[in-house]
Amino acid sequence: MTVIKTWCTALGLASLSLVSARAQTLPSEPISVGGGRVTIGGDVSASVGSSDPGFFDYTDYEHSALRLLRVDVSAAVNGGDHLTLLGELRTENFDSMQPYALYLRIKPWTARAIDIEVGRIPPTFGAFARRTYASDNPLIGYPLAYQYLTSLRPDSLPANADELLRRRGLGWFTRYTIGDAAADKGVALVSAFRWDTGVQVHGTAGIVNASVAVTAGTLSNPLFNDDNNGRQVAGRVELRPVGGLSGLIVGTSAARGPFVSASAVRAAFNDDSRAGDFTQTAWGADVEYSRGYYLLRFETIVSDWQLPIVRTPALELPLRAVSTSVEGRYKIMPGLFAAARVDHLGFSDIAGTTVTEPWDAPVTRVEVGGGYSIQRNLQLKFSYQYNRRDGGVLEQLAHLKAAQLVFWF
Amino acid sequence: MSLWLIPLCALCLLCALIAAGAKVSAARNGTIRGRVELRHVVTPPERRPSVTELGTPIGRDLPDVLRSVVYLESAPRGAFETSDGGRAVMDQRNETFVPHVLAITTGTTVDFPNSDKFYHNVFSLSKTRQFDLGRYAAGNSRQVRFDRPGIVRVFCDIHSHMNAFILVFGHPFFAMTDGEGRYHIDNVPPGTYGVVAWNEGTSSDAVPVTVPDGGVAEMDFTIR
Repeated sequence: MTVIKTWCTALGLASLSLVSARAQTLPSEPISVGGGRVTIGGDVSASVGSSDPGFFDYTDYEHSALRLLRVDVSAAVNGGDHLTLLGELRTENFDSMQPYALYLRIKPWTARAIDIEVGRIPPTFGAFARRTYASDNPLIGYPLAYQYLTSLRPDSLPANADELLRRRGLGWFTRYTIGDAAADKGVALVSAFRWDTGVQVHGTAGIVNASVAVTAGTLSNPLFNDDNNGRQVAGRVELRPVGGLSGLIVGTSAARGPFVSASAVRAAFNDDSRAGDFTQTAWGADVEYSRGYYLLRFETIVSDWQLPIVRTPALELPLRAVSTSVEGRYKIMPGLFAAARVDHLGFSDIAGTTVTEPWDAPVTRVEVGGGYSIQRNLQLKFSYQYNRRDGGVLEQLAHLKAAQLVFWF
Repeated sequence: MSLWLIPLCALCLLCALIAAGAKVSAARNGTIRGRVELRHVVTPPERRPSVTELGTPIGRDLPDVLRSVVYLESAPRGAFETSDGGRAVMDQRNETFVPHVLAITTGTTVDFPNSDKFYHNVFSLSKTRQFDLGRYAAGNSRQVRFDRPGIVRVFCDIHSHMNAFILVFGHPFFAMTDGEGRYHIDNVPPGTYGVVAWNEGTSSDAVPVTVPDGGVAEMDFTIR
């Protein structure tokens, strides 16, 4: 049914594109009402692709990125020089419309580049989280660090190393004996698709941009309501040189916050007073360079999780995951581009009773593709993905193909 | 002596008559002038809601959307012989193309300097002229030559709210309006022409205008 809906939408957009090939018939600018006080933008993407029985491309909204109809509607309400209310509603595959973002941006001094954001705020950490829209992504898949579901859960815990090793590669649908026993999805290193709730301060001085945020959840488990009475602190510093190095952006990010839910800690120790000890700590670095027709991006993220040790063989903590992603785009001619991304997600070794191996199955992905702009804001993309997982009981190799139609205004 | 004087006087008289006759029969170019009134002024495109940005986007200038272009729909014979249109400039300044509307003749090369501190990427997917200048930094410029008449929409691939128009004509009989909507097209050979006013993608119907010999034709337009 979902595939049919996606196809119908894609065909609808395609038929509009045939008309728009002759003229710019689709809206190409954000809708502005109330004398410019309210601005509404949108981003619609319809993807069709191979089935993914290995669950390589499933996101924490439980949909495959390659078979997805995503509609984002964002709005900014300008309340004068000091206040802006920003929000975004999103639906995937015609599920219920969800508030993805809703926050107040306060600018205390109009002459100073300092902002305070309060509410369900944009991710502070990393670079990709700010370009998850299909119109900003040169390919159809997402970087592994922001999408691939590891076998960790904040509300369900492995009792020992053997139990964790048995769940390698099953992040799509996993459960453990401590805490919530119902099967559910694991977490990505960083969730790019769910936003955290809290306060963020951002400032710019010359070529330096800096942000710091205090939020209820963690990178891998953003929350609206806190589940462990702990706060995550995240920060990002970004350098954007001017002049001859205008195309360079160098960023580094760090975050630390309690990851395991209080209920899971209570299930492990009959007491949740130590809930703040079981954290996710992450560090990231990213570089983007563009010039002429080239755009190159590199991003690496190291994430450590501390989990309760309940029984032997004990988990060797922290449980570490390291992701590395390199992406490039080249414009071949007006409206036509080619792109590629090489991605690896690795995990630290832990020792079980009989074997020592990474606590989750390492994944490698190579995605190549390209896109053609039918008109400025209507784009058709194609991609091919090679996915390999070194372990686990699910399919370990997947060759996936996908096409995507993107429209934005 | 008188025998020589009579034919000489006759010759002088004939030359004077020919010269006077030629002066009378030579068509003198005229002017079309008037005013373009905009009933509804197009709102400059807003920035897309910056939900994912970590801070408030920097300020930008707004494009001048009041300028219109008035042109002859059908130009006089021989007017299409222009081949080298020279050069024109469309700057990129404070996330705005300046000017927002550029009217040029075919053969013109347009320079696109980047006067901002950050990258821009000028491109167009218009059938009249497709181009993509890639990303380039402040102080640099790229050029595009326009050889076909038509309307070219220009955008920046990095800043989606930046857009501009380039109107390319095969003849020189066009004019931009000033800040108050006034225009004048000079050096128009006498005759009757269809005249069109254009603003931000909307055109008036072609209105027949007769340019008198050496005189001025007045024509006002209302768009939208």
